[in-house]
Amino acid sequence: MSSDSRFALLVLKTDIEPHMIKNFTSACKFFILVFVFAFVSSTSSAQEISTDPAAIKAGEGIFNANCKSCHKVKEKLVGPALAGVDERAPSIDWIKSFIKNPPGMIASGDAYANNLYKDYKPTMMTAFSSLKDEDIMNVLAYVKAKEAEVPKDDVIKDPVPGGENTEAGGSDLLNLVAIGVVIVLLLLVVTLALLISSLKRFLDQKNLNEEEKEVVHSPITLKSALSSPAFIFIVAFLVAALGFKTVINNLFAIGVQQGYAPKQPIAFSHKIHAGDLEIDCKYCHVGVTKGKSATIPSVNICMNCHNQIKEGAQTGASQIKQITDAYANNEPIKWVRIHNLPDLAYFNHAQHVVVGGVECQTCHGPIQEMEVVKQHSLLTMGWCIDCHRKTDIDTTRNAEYYDKMLKIHAEKKGSKAPFKVEDIGGLECSKCHY
Amino acid sequence: MRLVKNLFVGISAAALLTACGAGGNDQGTEYAPNMYHSVAYEPYSQIDDWEAGRWVTSIEYPKLDSVTEGHAEYYNSNNFNPHKMNMRDPAPNTVSRNKQGWLPYRLGKDSLAYAAATLKNPLDSTASVIADGKILYETYCDHCHGAKGNGDGKVAGGAEGEGIKVVVNGETKTRNTYNGIANLRSDALKGISEGHIFHVITQGKGLMWAHGSQISPEDRWKIAKYVKTLQK
Ligand code: HEC
Ligand code: HEC
Ligand code: HEC
Ligand code: HEC
Ligand code: HEC
Ligand code: HEC
Ligand code: HEC
Repeated sequence: MSSDSRFALLVLKTDIEPHMIKNFTSACKFFILVFVFAFVSSTSSAQEISTDPAAIKAGEGIFNANCKSCHKVKEKLVGPALAGVDERAPSIDWIKSFIKNPPGMIASGDAYANNLYKDYKPTMMTAFSSLKDEDIMNVLAYVKAKEAEVPKDDVIKDPVPGGENTEAGGSDLLNLVAIGVVIVLLLLVVTLALLISSLKRFLDQKNLNEEEKEVVHSPITLKSALSSPAFIFIVAFLVAALGFKTVINNLFAIGVQQGYAPKQPIAFSHKIHAGDLEIDCKYCHVGVTKGKSATIPSVNICMNCHNQIKEGAQTGASQIKQITDAYANNEPIKWVRIHNLPDLAYFNHAQHVVVGGVECQTCHGPIQEMEVVKQHSLLTMGWCIDCHRKTDIDTTRNAEYYDKMLKIHAEKKGSKAPFKVEDIGGLECSKCHY
Repeated sequence: MRLVKNLFVGISAAALLTACGAGGNDQGTEYAPNMYHSVAYEPYSQIDDWEAGRWVTSIEYPKLDSVTEGHAEYYNSNNFNPHKMNMRDPAPNTVSRNKQGWLPYRLGKDSLAYAAATLKNPLDSTASVIADGKILYETYCDHCHGAKGNGDGKVAGGAEGEGIKVVVNGETKTRNTYNGIANLRSDALKGISEGHIFHVITQGKGLMWAHGSQISPEDRWKIAKYVKTLQK
């Protein structure tokens, strides 16, 4: 194929320059020369991987932008490790055409490509049709350079003093200090007691009159103090007050589930997902901006990540396996409900999160730090009403809608009066009960 | 002695009452529990134990057959549905409509090329559409594809690719990451159409699973608009 095209080129050239045909031998020599030169130059530019730092640098940029997510140089990731690819692939040209169009290569029935695909099915590499040949050569240069590098990990393997470690050290130190202080205080008490008794003995040896003796040996002993009416009253009062307080507190706790934090069927942690990984609440609780219920994510949402992430650092495979099993068997996960208002009250999430602009954390507390979700708020009527009395309406969100209301409000209560939820009817019984 | 006796009664009453508060696995005592256990189906409150709450049952619920008693107060499931779920799939061959009157998206997972070539974004490139798209992108895509679309979200290991460290039993471990997350600004994806993005969100592609169940069609088009601005 290629020689054909070159030959055509030559013919074309001879057409333009007719004097060459005159001397056949020179034309022939020219042909051979051009052919050889073209072949040599094409192979040298195609097969040789540059060691030029500029090429390596350029290759690194292209690799990081396009390939890093699927390839590592020395380890298998989504795709094969690229180290040594220039030797194992059929040719450099093959690599170039593969990178430009992997689906095409696989579909064309290319044996090497199909063998490779068999191992990585169903993942197929993205087509990088916009990469130029020299870009690909630069990537290969980078891969070659990286291949030769000694892994950094083996050179410096220092036990990194992590944040947690120093923290643990800090609290240990605190404990030590506390124990030290207690010991010192105890020693002080003992020495003081010793001092008192030796002082007493010293005074007894002196000739003391009655009055002075009474001072030294006080008649108020522990026993007489304990049985004095004042003491009994104080103790009885304290016990009764404390008892009363607990009774009242606990009576108020009836029907209030604040602090409820049940164990869930899968040890799902908001701290990992919403905290560390910064997944937005709405990625999972998709209904929260749309309607009444925030919704609990269905299994397919967990599978968006756990189709690949099969093990957790803390719980190994045991917990995540329950997700994949549920997905495979098409079974729901039975999460335990935590927040629950009685039937007699109506609460709508979209009304608060979208219209009111209230943050999840205002009502649910620092969920992103919780390993196990805990009911943070009281969820009583008083709690709802209290917030409706205190919270200003953000009228800028929907100025058109609120303008008339604001006008009427200003007419009634003066233009300076705050515009709270209360003022749009947030305390009307029928808004929450019907 | 009377004082001691009274104190004793008071303290034991208080101790008994502490059992009413909630905490850990204990839900605490409910006041008027019938109201917390809906008779009508309630989302995310399925109780499939036939006997749950027999002690407060005040109504005779319909019997399944002549032998067994009607269900107890708390029972809230549908015996005839798979897994006794309250929720059902929509009836087959029905079509859900949205407020724009758009029909459901029917192209299958393997029709990416067709979708990319033919689908047109019904929304205009107004500032508010793109601003909405940004918020939605940050909600649904950001943790994988990164704020700028470079494929460096936290789930992909973050900008430095370091991953998240965690200490388990004194041993520092690195959390797993999701591999193969595309760099949306890479050369291969610079030129993709909004229809292509819409189809990938809806049906997924390769390593990325379908996100259609989480995001409404209108929001998907907004995201597609925003992704195109990211790629500039
Ligand atoms: C979406 C993930 C993905 C991206 C991005 C990707 N690759 Fe691949 N690559 C693969 C997979 C998977 C294979 C294995 C063949 C297959 O299944 O398509 C592969 C195979 C290869 C091979 C052949 C390896 C061998 O062992 O013969 C080369 C070379 C290659 N990729 C280079 C690149 C380069 C260069 C880039 C960046 C410009 C890149 N890849 C980007 C997934 C990817
Ligand atoms: C990766 C998905 C995911 C993310 C992200 C997520 N959640 Fe959740 N959330 C769940 C699951 C699953 C449950 C049910 C299991 C449980 O209670 O732990 C849940 C339960 C809850 C509950 C308790 C529901 C009940 O039963 O009353 C609240 C409240 C909650 N999430 C709030 C949040 C908030 C606020 C955020 C953002 C900071 C958030 N979630 C982020 C998946 C998620
Ligand atoms: C956006 C990606 C993503 C989604 C969605 C997601 N997870 Fe995870 N999950 C992760 C990552 C990353 C880890 C950390 C893995 C590790 O520790 O190595 C993880 C870890 C876990 C762990 C193990 C924690 C440990 O340390 O052992 C459990 C259990 C888990 N997830 C459950 C769920 C459940 C249930 C859902 C659905 C409500 C869910 N995940 C949704 C990314 C996700
Ligand atoms: C104004 C207070 C408030 C705000 C703000 C709020 N919630 Fe809720 N949330 C509640 C109440 C009250 C319930 C109990 C609802 C019920 O039982 O009907 C609840 C219940 C839930 C549930 C349990 C399932 C359900 O829908 O009943 C989840 C999950 C949840 N909220 C997540 C969120 C997320 C995520 C956000 C932020 C986007 C949020 N909430 C913002 C008050 C709030
Ligand atoms: C953190 C503060 C806060 C809490 C707690 C809260 N709300 Fe609200 N609520 C708001 C705000 C702000 C609005 C106003 C939204 C708007 O701009 O229209 C609102 C509006 C409402 C409305 C609509 C009022 C109207 O006239 O349109 C109802 C109904 C409502 N809340 C019910 C509840 C219930 C029930 C609870 C308790 C379970 C509750 N809210 C707890 C802040 C709160
Ligand atoms: C902002 C919303 C809201 C408004 C306005 C409101 N309530 Fe309530 N109410 C609730 C909630 C939520 C509960 C449930 C509290 C609980 O479960 O502890 C409740 C509980 C009650 C109860 C107690 C029922 C029981 O079983 O404990 C009564 C009675 C009641 N409301 C009457 C009223 C009356 C009368 C008004 C008007 C003056 C009113 N409510 C206005 C939210 C509201
Ligand atoms: C769980 C992580 C994850 C989330 C969340 C995610 N993606 Fe992806 N995305 C991926 C992965 C992995 C790929 C590579 C797929 C492949 O080529 O096999 C990808 C590829 C893509 C592609 C390129 C497809 C192609 O033609 O090669 C686009 C466009 C895309 N994602 C858009 C989005 C948008 C928009 C969102 C938000 C709605 C999103 N993604 C959310 C993981 C994710």
